[in-house]
Formats: sequence, C-alpha cells, structure tokens
Amino acid sequence: MSIENLGTPVVLLANPGFLRDAQSASSNKGMPVLRTLPLNVACESTVKKDIDTGTFEAMPAIVEALTRPLTDHEKAPKWSTEQPPRIAFKGTYENINRFFYRNGWTDGLPIAPPTETAVREMMTGTDLPADHVVAKVIPRQGKATIEKIAVNAVMAGALPTHMPVIIAAVESFAIQKTRFDTFEVSTGSWAPFFAINGPIRDQIHINYSSGALSPGDIANAAIGRAVGLIVKNIGGARKAVEDMGVIGNPAKYTLVIGEDEENSPWEPLHVERGFKKEDNTLTVFFPNSYMQAVPKGTDAKGIAKGMLDMNPWSMSCFVVIPSHAEILASEGWTKKSLKEYLVRGLEDPMKAYLKSQGGETKSEDILSAPPEAADPDSLMILVAGGPGAWTGLLRSVGGIQNDFVTVKINLPANWDKLVRKYGNIVPNYARY
Amino acid sequence: MNRSRILRMLAIFGMLTAFTLSSAGVLPAKDSSEAQYEVLSPWGEADPKPLKGISPRVDDLSGKKIGIFANYKRAAIPIAMSLQERIKSEYPDSTVSIYHSDQWNVTEIETENKDTFKKWVEGKDAVILLVGD
Repeated sequence: MSIENLGTPVVLLANPGFLRDAQSASSNKGMPVLRTLPLNVACESTVKKDIDTGTFEAMPAIVEALTRPLTDHEKAPKWSTEQPPRIAFKGTYENINRFFYRNGWTDGLPIAPPTETAVREMMTGTDLPADHVVAKVIPRQGKATIEKIAVNAVMAGALPTHMPVIIAAVESFAIQKTRFDTFEVSTGSWAPFFAINGPIRDQIHINYSSGALSPGDIANAAIGRAVGLIVKNIGGARKAVEDMGVIGNPAKYTLVIGEDEENSPWEPLHVERGFKKEDNTLTVFFPNSYMQAVPKGTDAKGIAKGMLDMNPWSMSCFVVIPSHAEILASEGWTKKSLKEYLVRGLEDPMKAYLKSQGGETKSEDILSAPPEAADPDSLMILVAGGPGAWTGLLRSVGGIQNDFVTVKINLPANWDKLVRKYGNIVPNYARY
Repeated sequence: MNRSRILRMLAIFGMLTAFTLSSAGVLPAKDSSEAQYEVLSPWGEADPKPLKGISPRVDDLSGKKIGIFANYKRAAIPIAMSLQERIKSEYPDSTVSIYHSDQWNVTEIETENKDTFKKWVEGKDAVILLVGD
C-alpha cells in the first residue's frame, strides 16, 4: 500500500488461499480496492518448474491489472464496516449462544452471557474506568476498552479476580518486541504462552503443579480463553482471513501456567527478569509446539542432556519439574549455566537436514525454518509441574526483533476484598 | 374396571402420545419463564480510516521501468526472478528490478530501509508485489 501511496500503480500476487488475507490487510490500512491476483504456485514453493508455469499463466492478468483504467470506485472508494450496537442481543441462554456463534464471536464452545450485571461485576477487578483504552488490538486496531475486555472475560467464564491478569496480557500485546502482530496471524499457528509469577498465583488459584497445562483450573482455563476471545472480537483476527494458521493450534484455547516459586531452588522467573519477588507479573511469548520427554538419567547430567536432546529453537521455554530443578541445583547448576550448556550443545536441525541432503543453503524465512537457540537469553526456564519425571518444552522462534516480555500485573484497591469473595472457588472432587 | 387399572391405562396412553408427538418433531412448549438475558457486544470499536483510491495505471508495459517487490517468504525471490525473466522476454525494452525485504509483517517504509525503498519505488512506473505465499 505504501507503494500506491507514493503514486505508483501496484498489483499484488498471492496464492489463492491468501487473497482474502491480502485484501483485508489492504482494507485495514484504508485501501479496500488494491488490485490483487491469484498466483497458482504452491505456498513457499521450491520447484522452479511450478513457479515458471504459475508466472506464465498469471502474466496476461498482471499486464491487465497494471494497464486497465481505474473505475470511479477505485479512484474514490466507499467502504462500510459493521459495528454492532452495545446491546447486541436479547434472548435465552441457548439463543444467545447461537447468535454469538453465528456472528463468529466465540471459540466454538458455549459462552457465559455477558449481561450488564455480569460485566459490571467483572469490572470490579480493575480501578480503570469502563471506557479506558488499554490498547488497540491489531489487525483492525479495535479498541480494547475495559468494558470490552470485561465482556469477553465474562464470555470466557473468568472471575473478576482474573481481570488484572487479562488486562496485563492485552497490555503485553501492545509491546512491539512480543511481535504479536506477526505471531497472532502467522501460518505457523503460534499461540500466546503466559507464565504468571508473584503472590497472585495462589490468590486466584493459578495451577503450577500437577497437570498445570491440562484443563480443570478456572484461572488457567478462563484467562487464556478470554485473551483468545479478545484477539478475535476486539482485534478482529478471523480464522482463514487474517489468522492464517495452516494447521492451527489447540493452545490458542489457553496456555497459562504459574511458576512453583516455593519449590524452586532458583530465583523465580520474574526476579530473574528484574522484578521484585512480591511483584505480580505476566511473561509472554508465542510458541507453536509443545513437547514432553523423560530424561535418560535422573542425575543432573542426565536431566541436562535430556533437555538438550529436546532441541530447543531460538526462543524456547523449558518447564522443569521441581524435583529435577532440585537435583540440578544440588549439583551446582544455575538457570544461567544450564542455558549456556544448552546453547553450546545445540546443532541447527535445518543445517543437519540440508547437510544430509548433500547441500547447504541459507533460509531467510526463519518462521518456516526456525534456527537453533544460539543465545542463552533466548531460552527461558520455568519451574512447574507435579511429581514424576517429565520435562516440558515450548518452542518458538527468535530473530524477528522479538523477545520474551514481562509486564507487571496491577491490582485494584479492593483486591483483598475481591480475593475473599472469589478465593473459595476451587474444585472439590467427589470421593470414590 | 378398578381404579388402579384405569390409572395404568391413562399412563400408557400418555406415554404413547408423548412418543408420537416427539417422533413427529413436535416438542413440548418451552417454559415461558425461561430466563431471558440482554447481552453486550464483544466486538471492539475501531476508528474509521480515511479511504484512499489507487494510482492511475500505465497505458502499456513497453519501455517502462517495472519493479518487483519480494517479501521475506522463501518463494518470493524465485517467483520474482521468474517474473523478471518473463517480463524481459515479452517487453525487451522494459527494465525490471527486484527489491527484497527481510522484514516480518512490517511495512518497508516504516523501517530503517525507508529511504532506499522510497528511492526504489519513485524510479518505477509500476510495481508487482509478491508475498511469497
């Protein structure tokens, strides 16, 4: 679009599956009439013959798009976008769910009705006024006001005590080095991972022990779900229009965990990242894969080698269980020395693959071919999980001016009262 | 017929009627007191954007300076090279130059390369934009 703004005619070529994405990107920047054409070449093609056939077939249309005179609409476009009224609907629980689903406002699961009363109660989780804009969420630069955040939080089943964390997550997306702009819509289906530190973990019952990343804990479940709905409903990231995740990622439902600070021999993640121990923080990055492995040995060397064998990309987060962290620490390993060991021992999987194919090339698209972790600071270690012997690894990619981002979670003045009101909402399983 | 037998027959009749109605897709009327909710929209507002038209086209590609913008995706450069070859063979008196961006989802004009990019665009009569997908 900036080329058109400079007065030079443009035609955009994209794989047919990406045309709507290209048109949406152009519309979002105020130019809904950019001329676009399908190019019938496989995405990220490496086959010259196919590329030559595609460009040959597209050539007449390219010439036409660059030479056909403009219509009146192309000279001065008129475009209208839908803006639903504040009160969106009135009906039964079932009808509301159908209405919201048909509008593309849910994640496929039933939502809790965001009534005026429920939204008002949700907003007791912050001292900020209802019309305060926390951030403008891309791609459509939707205004994440406190009220809209609260509406989506109610839908997700969150409690008012979760609001400070959800607001912090929205704030974190506005920080450029998260590269939310790229990860949220990328073909790689990256999902936000939120690590929570500080006293708030226990106050709102964030799970950081057995099955922390499994369903069953309202805080872990609803905070991530609320953020997913905010991205969709405030940011306007529509599946297969702007969110071009090829295969998708179940972690987009939720990926929230706390750190087991009390059972970790090391300093907590947020302290390592410059915050005070008593601060409440949220740390975010965007992995697209999650794997788990049992190390070959249960001594420190075996655990460290097991982590190396999991092959972290540049940027990755290891979830180390407290018992393994204790063994590592007892033999002198710190988070820093562990990260340095991992970086030294890694071999670039893409290089190894290319070598095995008899050649070496440099890929410039590191989102499609993530390199190995090369910098200790591109690795994060979080102590969490229950009894057992597994290590977790969440893999993302660095090198696109991105980094882990930690933000402070700000609590409202009535926090203690709110915690008393909602603090006893915990599961009590049936005995059998 | 004693009373309990009559009651038993009435019960069977009732069950049969309910079965017939539900098989025909007719469901019992919903409780009119079923809760109704008035709910707020989750859709965020966005400021309206000033709309812009596109630039006038060229009359012909002959003798023109054509630019091909290739983004960071790995297929973008091979496609650009193929197009360059194609344009040169169909319009031998045209000139074609390729601009390669290695920025992820950032408009080139907003990067440190903006002056180079602007200079490249300003020297072109038309541009083909490739996104590599």
